[in-house]
Amino acid sequence: MAELAGLFLFIGLTSFGGGITAYIRRLVVSQKRWLTDEEFLPGLGLVQLLPGANVVGLAVYIGNHLKGPLGSAVALGSLLVCPFISTCALGFLYFHAGKTADTKALLAGITAAACGLMASMVFEAGEKAIKGAFDIFLIILTFALVRGTPSFELLNHKIPSIPHLSVPMVILIVAPLAVWWHRPRPKKELPEQIGEAKP
Amino acid sequence: MTKTLLQVALLFSTLSLSAFGGGKVVLPSMHQSAVGEYHWMDDEDFVNLFSISMAAPGPSMMVVTLVGLKACLPYGIPIAILGALVATLAMFVPSSFLVYFAGNWWDHWKESPWRHSVMDAILPISTGLILAATWIISKTSIHTVPTAIMGVVALSLMLFTKLNPVLMMGVAGVISWTFLK
Repeated sequence: MAELAGLFLFIGLTSFGGGITAYIRRLVVSQKRWLTDEEFLPGLGLVQLLPGANVVGLAVYIGNHLKGPLGSAVALGSLLVCPFISTCALGFLYFHAGKTADTKALLAGITAAACGLMASMVFEAGEKAIKGAFDIFLIILTFALVRGTPSFELLNHKIPSIPHLSVPMVILIVAPLAVWWHRPRPKKELPEQIGEAKP
Repeated sequence: MTKTLLQVALLFSTLSLSAFGGGKVVLPSMHQSAVGEYHWMDDEDFVNLFSISMAAPGPSMMVVTLVGLKACLPYGIPIAILGALVATLAMFVPSSFLVYFAGNWWDHWKESPWRHSVMDAILPISTGLILAATWIISKTSIHTVPTAIMGVVALSLMLFTKLNPVLMMGVAGVISWTFLK
């Protein structure tokens, strides 16, 4: 249990931004050998499907796998405690310093770079998401609903503006459409595949 | 004070269960509530807190900690820390319960073709939401030519090199502090 706490304390301290699932896999599967790939990968699939940060979900999954519910709680707590303290400290530092010329200039650069980082995540997510034109439509629809749309004229009809909606609301609207589009469909059977039909 | 803490708890526990594709997808909603609805902070503070959280260690969504902290800051430092704690727990605990319980019957569902359908359906939605989040952050923070150039350079570096994002943000901060002050 102490080892579990120690590992997630370490992950909490050394994880920045995103893309650390590969790093956790290396630590837990390759180095510590606490889980096999057959146990780890379904967990990764699960946390990618469910809401929440992947790292957090993995901590809960791995903790539960090794030590049950208490293991989950220990892994989650260990993961968050150091980031919580350092983030609070930085927050107080920011509010204490106030908006001086120094902090403004420093943060201008950091936020500009953070924009670039976020934009790169759009490209990475888009690359995985876009399998056809309908996926592009879903991306634009989601974006438009979250941002709200201005009113405009189309063929002499005034299209009313849509106010921006909250993220949960947008998901409730778009998700059924998206799942319906991506519903399991029988694959077009190629001649050589007919023979391998279900027994 | 209690009202603010309850608002923080309710907001982030709702967003916790909506964060399909990671914490950053709920940033637009967090912005709407924290700036527009509850007036806990202005646009500039929100974007600055987001950048600070990105540059600090931890999962991608530690910005919730800072939003909770700022929301309760008018009531004094101890309450601000409590607000930060409430926000953090509200954001991370509900989704963790979901993972915990879902993990127990996940095996039964593993072979279902619907699993891929749901996965394929979530990806474009989370892409649209990350796009909206990027839009909000950029709209407030990119308003001069130098910041626009830095944003584009940062984007290219992230796409085409394996540079550590925190190192990149740190260097960008120092560059802008040196030249733009």
